[in-house]
Amino acid sequence: MIKPTLQPETAKPSDLELLQAIANRDEYALGSLYDRYRLILFGLLMRILSNREEAEDVLQEVFLQVWRRAKDFDELRGRPFTWLVTLTRSRGIDRLRLLGARQRLAVAASADEAEEVSDAVKDTFLSEQRRIVTRALAELSEDQRRTLMLAYFDGLTQSEIAGQLDIPLGTVKTRMRLGIIKLRELLHEQLENFG
Amino acid sequence: MDHDEFQTTLAAHALTALDAGEAREVESHAESCIDCRKEADTWQEITAQLALTSPPVEPSLQTRARLMESIRSTSAEERSVDEKSRNELRSKANVVELSASQKKHGSFVQTWAIAACLLFIGLIISLLVLWQQNRAKRQELARLTTQFQATEQQLIHERDAIGILTRPGARLAQLSGTKVAPSASAILAYDQTGRAILLAKGLPPAPAGKAYQLWFIAGGQPLPGRVFSPGNSGEGTLDDQIPAAAVKASVFAITLEPSSGTQAPTGAIYLTSGS
Repeated sequence: MIKPTLQPETAKPSDLELLQAIANRDEYALGSLYDRYRLILFGLLMRILSNREEAEDVLQEVFLQVWRRAKDFDELRGRPFTWLVTLTRSRGIDRLRLLGARQRLAVAASADEAEEVSDAVKDTFLSEQRRIVTRALAELSEDQRRTLMLAYFDGLTQSEIAGQLDIPLGTVKTRMRLGIIKLRELLHEQLENFG
Repeated sequence: MDHDEFQTTLAAHALTALDAGEAREVESHAESCIDCRKEADTWQEITAQLALTSPPVEPSLQTRARLMESIRSTSAEERSVDEKSRNELRSKANVVELSASQKKHGSFVQTWAIAACLLFIGLIISLLVLWQQNRAKRQELARLTTQFQATEQQLIHERDAIGILTRPGARLAQLSGTKVAPSASAILAYDQTGRAILLAKGLPPAPAGKAYQLWFIAGGQPLPGRVFSPGNSGEGTLDDQIPAAAVKASVFAITLEPSSGTQAPTGAIYLTSGS
């Protein structure tokens, strides 16, 4: 069986090269990075905020922060993709909390449907990664998966998850720990290939 | 928490699922423990993969356009500052070169006298120009410093508000503008201890000698909070402590009062949370 190629084969600049160019004030490089990851990052923000206007506002803030902080990126600590996703999720959760519970209910009531992206996107290597992660998540129990999703996409702490699901805090901690450890085992080999 | 316990909480920390106190403990430990820092980085890589389970969605073209416009404005300002700095250095170099070239002409004494006079006049003019530029720069710096401090204060309050909202029992009140300020709005985040953060926007500037004051309504009686003045953008923030008698109340209001505040409301109501 041929292992899927998870890196594009053309001579496009790497994520790290783009970040280094951005640190040297290359606006074109920032545009390229935005084009490369806008679908994934905006999809993440839509999942968190369920509101297009808020999500677009936060997406803009994220890339402005990339422009300001590209020079601080440390490649020894992780990949540019991870840095972008972490930044995006952090901003998204911050905006979610700032909107407040009452406003969130009003926003969710008029939630925008996520439009299906064109088939062209499904051919990218990110689509392959997405299939791998989705398959790995399906290997977890429903309880473990739900705990991870509540923490990651709704920004809830373990205490808040325990309160929402009306289960002991210890149970939440166990489910989260077992779920994330299993996810790590399933993705470990793939992560080495992601480069 | 011992070292093994830190290791088991790193995954939850990568999911930002720890309570504030636990998270701070883990972060403090990771600053001095290379093993835990590496482990934390690995967990970040794992959890970032969860983002891929969201369906990809296309943002509007305007989002990209607005972003690039902001970047271009920022870059233009940076280049303008660099160009001004280079011009200042050039003008200083020209004064020195003019003095040096004048020394080569005329008789020894006359040349020296003319050179000395020209040098003196040139120095006076340069000093005047530099002094004016310096004053303008100082004024601009003072203005930017004030603006920066106000923005920094606002960011601190926004961060504190988020911190309050993550605590158990935290509440959030929304205040709406009245007829005197229909476009004003505010949110008040507070926890069970009464620590409160107010974020307001759309307020008209307070007249000289006046400021906006926050009120906590308990049993129908208004209890005074602190005063604040919004910036030119109409946004203002406040860090306050709700009196014990009003912590369980959920009615708040903002009025315009003398800048030192009052014990009972005297001015018009600009924002209210209703009942």
